[in-house]
Amino acid sequence: MTRNIRFRLNGAIREESIREEALALDWIRNEAGLKGTKEGCREGDCGACLVLLGGRGPDGSMEWRSVTSCTLAMGELDGRHLVTIEGLAAAGLTPVMEAMLDEGASQCGFCSPGFVLALTGYLVSGARIDPIGAMIAVEGNLCRCTGYGSIRRAATRLASEFADLPTDLGPRLASLAERRVLPAGLAASMAEPPAPVADAPGTRESAATVLGGGTDYFVRNPDPEPGLVPSFSDLGPEARTITRTVSQTGSAVVIGPAVTVSDFFASPVTRSAAPGIERYELAVASPPIRNRATIVGNIVNASPIADMTAMLIALGGRVMIAGGGRGGTEVRLEDFYLGYKQIDLLAGERVAGIAFDAGWSRFAFEKASKRERLDIATVNCAVAVRMAPDGSIAEARYSAGGVAAVPLRLRDAEMAMAGRSPSAILAREVGAIAAAAGSPMSDVRGSTVYRKRLLERLAWAAFTRLWPELRLEEELLA
Amino acid sequence: MRHNPDSILNVLGKTTYIDDMPENSEMLHSAIVPSPSAHGRFASIDDAAAIAYAPGVRVLVAKDVPGQNQLGTAVPDEPMLAEGEWHYRGQVLALVLAPSRSAARRAAALVKLVGREDLPVVVDPRVAYERGDVILTPRTQRLGDPEAAYGECDIVVTGRVESGGQEHVYLETQGAVAYPDDSGGVRVFSGTQSPAGVQAIVARILGVPMNLVEIETRRLGGAFGGKEDQASGWAALASLGAVMTGKPVKLYLNRRDDMASTGKRHPYSSDFRIGMKKDGTILAFEADYYQNAGAATDLSPAILPRTLFHAAGAYHIPNVRATGTMCRTNLVPFTAFRGFGGPQGLFVVECAIEKAARALGLDPAEVQRKNLLSEGDVSHYGMRMDDVRAKDTFALCMEKSRWTELRADIAVFNASNKARKKGAAAFPLCFGISFTKIMLNQGGALVHVFNDGSVSISTGAIEMGQGVGRKIALVSAKALGAPIDDVRVESTRTTTVANTVATAASSGADINAMAARVACLEIRKRLVSLAAERLGVAYDAIDIVDGRVVTSGAGGARDAGLGFAELAGMAYERRIDLSAHGFFATPGLHYDMKAEHGTPFLYHVYGCAVVTATLDVLRGSYRFDEAFIVHDIAESIDPLVDLGQIEGAFAQGLGWAALEELKFDDSGRLLSDTLSTYKLPDAHFMPRLDVEFFTRPNPKAVANSKAVGEPPLMYGIAGYFAVLDALRAARPGAPSFYDLPMTPEKAMLFMTEPIGPAEASPGAGGSR
Repeated sequence: MTRNIRFRLNGAIREESIREEALALDWIRNEAGLKGTKEGCREGDCGACLVLLGGRGPDGSMEWRSVTSCTLAMGELDGRHLVTIEGLAAAGLTPVMEAMLDEGASQCGFCSPGFVLALTGYLVSGARIDPIGAMIAVEGNLCRCTGYGSIRRAATRLASEFADLPTDLGPRLASLAERRVLPAGLAASMAEPPAPVADAPGTRESAATVLGGGTDYFVRNPDPEPGLVPSFSDLGPEARTITRTVSQTGSAVVIGPAVTVSDFFASPVTRSAAPGIERYELAVASPPIRNRATIVGNIVNASPIADMTAMLIALGGRVMIAGGGRGGTEVRLEDFYLGYKQIDLLAGERVAGIAFDAGWSRFAFEKASKRERLDIATVNCAVAVRMAPDGSIAEARYSAGGVAAVPLRLRDAEMAMAGRSPSAILAREVGAIAAAAGSPMSDVRGSTVYRKRLLERLAWAAFTRLWPELRLEEELLA
Repeated sequence: MRHNPDSILNVLGKTTYIDDMPENSEMLHSAIVPSPSAHGRFASIDDAAAIAYAPGVRVLVAKDVPGQNQLGTAVPDEPMLAEGEWHYRGQVLALVLAPSRSAARRAAALVKLVGREDLPVVVDPRVAYERGDVILTPRTQRLGDPEAAYGECDIVVTGRVESGGQEHVYLETQGAVAYPDDSGGVRVFSGTQSPAGVQAIVARILGVPMNLVEIETRRLGGAFGGKEDQASGWAALASLGAVMTGKPVKLYLNRRDDMASTGKRHPYSSDFRIGMKKDGTILAFEADYYQNAGAATDLSPAILPRTLFHAAGAYHIPNVRATGTMCRTNLVPFTAFRGFGGPQGLFVVECAIEKAARALGLDPAEVQRKNLLSEGDVSHYGMRMDDVRAKDTFALCMEKSRWTELRADIAVFNASNKARKKGAAAFPLCFGISFTKIMLNQGGALVHVFNDGSVSISTGAIEMGQGVGRKIALVSAKALGAPIDDVRVESTRTTTVANTVATAASSGADINAMAARVACLEIRKRLVSLAAERLGVAYDAIDIVDGRVVTSGAGGARDAGLGFAELAGMAYERRIDLSAHGFFATPGLHYDMKAEHGTPFLYHVYGCAVVTATLDVLRGSYRFDEAFIVHDIAESIDPLVDLGQIEGAFAQGLGWAALEELKFDDSGRLLSDTLSTYKLPDAHFMPRLDVEFFTRPNPKAVANSKAVGEPPLMYGIAGYFAVLDALRAARPGAPSFYDLPMTPEKAMLFMTEPIGPAEASPGAGGSR
């Protein structure tokens, strides 16, 4: 649907009549005529179309994130700020570009704008600047020419040159302008977003699809039909909050409908509810995808192999239903999936958020995939446990993905664990239960026999992660 | 200039690729209609719904082709638009033109086949071989008598080796823009490694002489062999559209179409037999390579001999037989990919060495070392090897990786860890440089010096990120005496330099920089004569260095007060020609195809890699820790470019060996047809790289350099064996398997299945 929006593109305010469902990538290239943003895959897997997106975060302050413009809808841009390579290059070479040139980090050049933006976005983001962080910042970018050695050298150099950047956005932007990382005019405009034309659009009850971050939707609909209009779940800052609630049934964490994967892992609320969960952030997608993908979107997309779904089933996740006859009720996440890509959501209903139990003692997530980063799991599993004072397992929750038409909760495994103390014997028992679960099929990501083996081995691996002090791996592999 | 001007445009985002060129309002966009299965036939194409989709939609089919509907060069077996049948999934049945790209794509989805009938599908090269479905005839290279030599061996081992295909994943997908010309021809901007090759095909398709077809290529967003023969079809389809409509036509594939419809590295299935003495000396080696050529011949007949030439690796083996067969299947026509059949051949001999060494209880690296090529050895194709650098580079790499200590450290680590196992492997490289089809070893250049002293260089070379433009500029600047900043390397155009060859076979710089140098030296001669006359000194006393005329005399060299630009202006006034054409044909190459004997290469590139890996025994996953590479670069024209070539090629090789899985199902459908299912190396996958140049000059190539594009890719083979080494530590006694790429799935099954995968396949085992 066509709508008027106001946003900033690089240094200038644009007021445009846009098709909401149009991809930012197409608009940037074809309407704005900025050809430095490249289409490499149109599914968020290569980073050639990477841009920086600025807007107000949940606390109202300005935040900057790298995103892939091939999974970003124009309808999202009202009141936001988009920076492309042309914005960065407006005053000539920047230190990020110079570092890449000095190290030979650009060969054919098709991926280069994306790398420049990812590294610049890292410096803008407010994250602690170090070489490891700089390389994580480019985990959503593929380069087929360099073998990454030169990119690593450039990133390492930048990390040491800019280790002392101020953390607060204002001074940081000023410093980046002074040091030519950002053209001065651009930097000055990056502290505040422009005023939107409309208040947050809100969710239209008539819409067939509520759009989250778009990172799944646009992969399936790379050329969205003009008639097929998703509405936007960006309901304003409160939709991106994660809160802790206490009720008679216990303490829970509530995740708003627009909370992103990045928000989820950064949240102290999440981290205290599921100790150690932040260790698994890098196993999920890539930075630009995590910056856009929403938890709720991952849930309703109903992939049997979704990483966040597996984690949330183990954490006791519940889908909060709004609208329709069931509005205000909750459905257990593992019961929310009725069949392959079928969810228990009736006409007129939508997902208002996800709640999960707080107070877990330990949490582990295991994922087997061909490539360690930015890959879809062949099999994954997650385990959350609550420990009794005597060191035994008071309660366990166990999920597995990639082995059936829907994500599974393995109640047999949970029962086997309850009341027992962690041991290699128990891990083997649970592994055997897991290996018998589901009915994995053979596909591009792995054969049936491999998936069954993974179910068992990932159970063992989860035990070693839950109780590293027991050094169970030595006994399990004896 | 401190930086490569191409790279500056890249990081600024200003580099213009095919899809970035300005479009005029008349331009039509296009989309292909791919075949729906791997083999079938149809009676006709129903385009009514597509045409009704939007005004201005047109559908082009085989009968619209005015000339010959044929893309095949070696063998005419590849129609551009299918004629009643198709032989692989993704084959182009029709081209749909529309005013916008999305309209073209939507209309293409509405094209229907009338009388579709699916036919039986063959995907396995051995099945095709048994059915006699081979392309041309098998080729065999021989040295000595392996059969007789086995009698002298202490051990003879046989085995079967699989190596998978590889998708190029050039980040810029294939495309072309064709403009109709009032003469009835076309002017085409093509994303190709071979403008002259595209020119010939477009002329054939349109039925016009080559002088009515001009092809221009500015640069490519990666190619790696994938845009050698395989770029022609897209340019020819766009040209057909332009001629049929009288409007410019753009054809630019999206990633999914590109992955489904374009050729990739050939999968091979091979058998070997190797015989050794107890001390690891190899006496005999035989191999049979079943090349999966796909549905059309494409470049397979050129790729197969490179497999045979590399059958014996970096080793001197006195008795060799290598036989290769191109097997026709219902998969996409497989094509050139960096290494061009070499990697597939080299992997087999390394598997044979690994298997025999393990059977003898020897470290495979010791067997490698013992059999390395020496000066004067004669290869199994009859070439006398000179300036051999195999032992030098191997020894340096062993030293660099501290091999002996490394092996000891690994043994200690593995003895004290159950959950993790480490492994390491070495790979010595010997790779022949030159197109093995001798006529391709030629190139031209056109050099203009403008009267302000600025220089324009045109050659047949295509810049695709490999830095050939930079190398040509550096060589030309030096030859002319012009400052590097004043030298511009032009886009590659068939009307500027004619009858060129593809930028391929690692020889882009060898051939084109040499041709440019010839032209530059011609102009330089004229300028030196003029300077000598003006300054009143002898010709031999004049030099032009970095933009200044220098005279030498009793007092040594001194600046003559004359700059290059001023000299060029003077030449113009004096009516001296400031342009020259240069030509280079690689000397000394000859090969007798019947006898399979000769000197097909100008020289060889040597080197060695050691790769280490750590295996996670619980999960079956692995990480590469370090790679040590000593590479025979000779004198580097541009060290930053060469380091990038080595690191980048190694990454592709490691991806081929241990990550990238091109997966087809039995119906011939490519399952890994997107970047979410086909995984290539990312930054996290790559190990720490430690690259050292071996710098002995190479008098046979331009500026004493050596070609660098392809050879380092093969170092990735060490990655396969490093993981295998770790796997063997995790499950001692289990037989090795030779099924590249290594994947976490194969690793897991090796560690946990009752029988190793290699033993399950016929032809394995058999030591005596």
